[in-house]
Amino acid sequence: MDAEFYQTIIPMLLSGIRITFFIAVTGILIGIVIGSLCGYILQTEIKPLKAVAEVYIWIIRATPLMVQALYVYFVIPKWLGVDLPANTVGIIVIALNSGAFMSEIVKGALQSVDPGQKEAAASLGLNGAQILFHVVIPPAFKIAMPGLFNQFIISVKDTALLSVITVNEVTHQAQNYAALSFQTIPTYTVLALFYLVVISVLIVLQKWVEKRFCC
Amino acid sequence: MINICHMKKNFGELEVLRDINVHIHPGEVVCIIGPSGSGKSTFLRCINQLEKPSGGEILYKGENILDKSYDIRKFREEVGMVFQRFNLFPLLTVRENVCLAPVLTGHKSKAEAVTIAEELLKKVGLSEKADVYPATLSGGQQQRVAIARALAMEPQALLFDEPTSALDPELVGDVLEVMKELAKEGMTMVVVTHEMSFAHEVADRVIFMADGYIVESGTPDQVLEHPGEERTRTFLARFLTTDKTEKYAGLAR
Ligand SMILES: Nc1ncnc2c1ncn2[C@@H]1O[C@H](COP(=O)(O)OP(=O)(O)OP(=O)(O)O)[C@@H](O)[C@H]1O
Ligand SMILES: [Mg+2]
Repeated sequence: MDAEFYQTIIPMLLSGIRITFFIAVTGILIGIVIGSLCGYILQTEIKPLKAVAEVYIWIIRATPLMVQALYVYFVIPKWLGVDLPANTVGIIVIALNSGAFMSEIVKGALQSVDPGQKEAAASLGLNGAQILFHVVIPPAFKIAMPGLFNQFIISVKDTALLSVITVNEVTHQAQNYAALSFQTIPTYTVLALFYLVVISVLIVLQKWVEKRFCC
Repeated sequence: MINICHMKKNFGELEVLRDINVHIHPGEVVCIIGPSGSGKSTFLRCINQLEKPSGGEILYKGENILDKSYDIRKFREEVGMVFQRFNLFPLLTVRENVCLAPVLTGHKSKAEAVTIAEELLKKVGLSEKADVYPATLSGGQQQRVAIARALAMEPQALLFDEPTSALDPELVGDVLEVMKELAKEGMTMVVVTHEMSFAHEVADRVIFMADGYIVESGTPDQVLEHPGEERTRTFLARFLTTDKTEKYAGLAR
């Protein structure tokens, strides 16, 4: 518990938090794409695609994220015959995981748009894509926004589970340091405070975004 | 102009339209009255195919618009619709609501659309509301915006589905005023309405629908004042006891 401790741990955690954020942000951006596509498919009547989306969401919801990470890290590369770097696996897992949960959010948001507005747009001669992009998506996005942001916060926290596949995110860094230095109590206390501060900032940001852009 | 021949529509077992034949002529105002559930909305929605008719033909400019090869968007660009619940786009301002379709369909450039929107909003008495969002408007104002939005496509005809039924009584007048103005200018209009006074004053033809059939059709004078069919008389009589148009108490006798 001296200056040296802080001089070592803080840069470690900072570099860890960078990886945490890199994986969470990249993962969730891909997740938004997956979630938007699946969410859209879920509220159409395209049966085969719908079935694929439903199976995907079921698999993700019915398995723990840590098991998904282990599976993608250790099993999938065996099948493909290529090694996947831990960070890449981290991004894939966060993307697949957040994508599944966001599918439901997106589906709900799309379904919540008043059918009357779609009919009004159709009655003016707009085509399907124009109706989707100009009439359905803007209000749906507003409705989905809080849920999507929430999923982002969850994904940031979920990255901690990626320590199991040696992703050097912030929790894994702290584990390494604690194991080497035996400074268990201060290390994990600082780690916990780190998450507390970072997530609190995100929660404040979320509130602000909701105030600003929703309602 | 729009010739509807033997149009049928069923929802599963339920036959909503049984055999509808209506020819709508250019410049004509046709009012459709009838009891709730008689298929009036379905009839309008089948014309622009928000519902797909189960049978029959709709001829427009010499083409059957029910043909698979016909692009219904072409018809919808030329025949607008005004809904009972306005259905404005809530995240767009009044002006944007009016401009959206002409711009997206390539009818107008952005600048032209804005100019036309100004004119139309002036026409419906809402010039000063161009930059506000629909939620801040009264129902009557929203409906007038919806009419302006439909007019922005410069339609050949307009379909109205109970345009004043969702409005507080004191707001009905402004909307009907706008519609009367349109009728005077020669707009072809098909209006489903419970406003008997409007039908009486503005319609060239009144159609009474019940159970998916056209029971009676004729001038307002014929249908509203001297109905030939028992069903029409019953409907109008019941209507008068429940409705606000006491001043037309003489109509159904
Ligand atoms: N999408 C639908 N699916 C199933 N049944 C429907 C559908 N739309 C309308 N119907 C039924 O068709 C019948 C006619 O409905 P419609 O809305 O055309 O009546 P309406 O004359 O407009 O009545 P109102 O005066 O109450 O508006 C009703 O029995 C209604 O329940
Ligand atoms: Mg109706």
